[in-house]
Amino acid sequence: MSDIILEIKHLTKQFTSKKICVKAVTDISFNVKKGETIGIVGESGCGKTTLGRCIARGIQATSGSVIYTAEDGTKYDFINIDKKTLKTIRKDIQMIFQDPYSSLDPRMTVLDIIEEPLKANFPKMPKKEMDQRAMEIAEKVGLNPSYLKRYPHAFSGGQRQRIGIARALVLQPRVIICDEPVSALDVSIQAQVINLLKDLQQDMGLTYIFISHDLSVVEHISDKVGVMYLGKLVEFAETERLFSNPMHPYSEALLSAVPVADPTVKIDRIPLKGEIPNPANPPSGCYFHERCSYCMDICTREAPELRKLADDHEVACHRAEELKLRGFSYEQEQAK
Amino acid sequence: MNTEDTIIRVNNLKINITTDEGILTAVRGVSFEIKKGETLGLVGESGCGKSLTCKAILGINEPICSTEGQIFFDANNGGMIDLMKLPPKGNEIRDIRGKQISMIFQEPMVCFSPLYTIGNQINECTRLHITKDKKESKRITIEMMKKVGIANAEKRYDQYPHEFSGGMLQRALIAMALVCSPKLLIADEPTTALDVTIQAQILELIKELQKELKMSVLFVTHDLGTVAKMCDRVAVMYLGKIVESAPVVDLYHNPQHPYTKGLIGSVHKIGTKRQKRLFSIKGTVPLALNLPPGCSFYERCDCRIEGVCNVKEPEPDYIADGHVVCCHAVKSGLRKEVKNFE
Repeated sequence: MSDIILEIKHLTKQFTSKKICVKAVTDISFNVKKGETIGIVGESGCGKTTLGRCIARGIQATSGSVIYTAEDGTKYDFINIDKKTLKTIRKDIQMIFQDPYSSLDPRMTVLDIIEEPLKANFPKMPKKEMDQRAMEIAEKVGLNPSYLKRYPHAFSGGQRQRIGIARALVLQPRVIICDEPVSALDVSIQAQVINLLKDLQQDMGLTYIFISHDLSVVEHISDKVGVMYLGKLVEFAETERLFSNPMHPYSEALLSAVPVADPTVKIDRIPLKGEIPNPANPPSGCYFHERCSYCMDICTREAPELRKLADDHEVACHRAEELKLRGFSYEQEQAK
Repeated sequence: MNTEDTIIRVNNLKINITTDEGILTAVRGVSFEIKKGETLGLVGESGCGKSLTCKAILGINEPICSTEGQIFFDANNGGMIDLMKLPPKGNEIRDIRGKQISMIFQEPMVCFSPLYTIGNQINECTRLHITKDKKESKRITIEMMKKVGIANAEKRYDQYPHEFSGGMLQRALIAMALVCSPKLLIADEPTTALDVTIQAQILELIKELQKELKMSVLFVTHDLGTVAKMCDRVAVMYLGKIVESAPVVDLYHNPQHPYTKGLIGSVHKIGTKRQKRLFSIKGTVPLALNLPPGCSFYERCDCRIEGVCNVKEPEPDYIADGHVVCCHAVKSGLRKEVKNFE
């Protein structure tokens, strides 16, 4: 399988303080193919952002590995390589951040912001070439190059997010980790940014890991979706398969809670009992068992492994095969 | 229209804010009415004046906002009072505010004072409006907390806001708003700060309590999904004006104003086949400073008519039962066949 660009294997991140140890990300494994978009969904506090940052090595993972296949076919373990090698390949994996208001330095001009990654990675590059590349990329993301001498405060939210995207793209990365790139934006601007991301993916052959809590955005942009709960990946499958035929009770409940932008569609919500448990003190067995309406004896004792079922549908639930869970029916929609 | 079922009628509300760079026309002549037991959704992007409109109803805008217009409220069954004429610190408005009209604010985490217990803060409302008796007001408060689904309310009563999760705080805020059984509830983005599963719980809770207490609700949001779920009628705001209002099914299935169409087109409807691209409205919302004459959506509109739309501001136009649109193109029928976004 040569087209796999990222192999995430048993990635774990623990945050420890004096007495408590919080497992933010526990034993997550999945593969990412070149040119694909992987959506990661889950509620706040489930470890989505930590996962993204661990993959980009923004924070050091506790254990596990991220095998990155470079353009020439060499494989690197992104988590464990030494700093010198890391420097040469780090530019291949970049991040776009959630909040366009706080992720840009207010004291730098937009040109400086976009050029900063170049300065860090190619210190010998002449200033002229840097300007040239920054201009090109700014144009590509739909920023007027004549505005680049301005400071971030002069830009609206949507434009700031474009600056963030330009900054990530200027190094010509191959993988981009988008951490909630549109959740801080207005609806009409969200659509612009999502379309931009899709266009750029086509033009530059990018691979995205798209982290979001907004299921409709994720459904629109992703090829495959992973559902996270309390630091664990509970389900991972192709987008349409997961949305039409969820196999984990948590995914089912999550899907049923999304308000559909159509008043004639009525969905009976599957209620979840209680609240998300404290990750510092997770329940025994399956982390979801206290809130699950299909809970059995085994669920309270044994934690289910993520298993591969038919059609590459991966799910971590003891009862995945026997349960008939409800998703969205695409056929009905088409028939209308 | 029968005025007897109307709980509130806002008439030509205008709010101007004086800034260093000129006068910002935040709300430019908004009119709507809400019937008893009805839910009106107010939809629009940030900065379109939704929140200012809500706060104007309660008279709690900052003093730099100069407000004009009329807000008639049915305070004592049949007698309509103009809230704008009441002094903002007088006894009459204080009697209405919190008791007859109450509001759920956007961010539960910043709405509570961290220094007082939750019970104490909800209690404030009961003691002001219902009873002076401390024991009785505590009983009412705890009952309300139970009603909104706060488990173990007796214990929670004495806890501080930091001991509550986001969803629980939002419930406490709803309890605070509903404890005096208001006639009108203003919910300003009550669920934007919450996760989907909790959002669904809170929305269902508001709906249930609305039925039980027979309230009217003004539901303010930018999320078209929650509007579809919650509202009977929807008014779409753009730059301080209502550009289209219609019954909810009409608005989603037969939108007329180009802005409404764009908004609906730019949201991917979950559970449907994936489209290649989302429709997006070009440009951004302009700042409401020194606006040019004509339709405020002119710059971003796909079916603008030059010489008409940029000259005269469109007037509201009844096109069907309860469906009002402000658009020259729709009115004149000159509109180019607008793309089907479905």
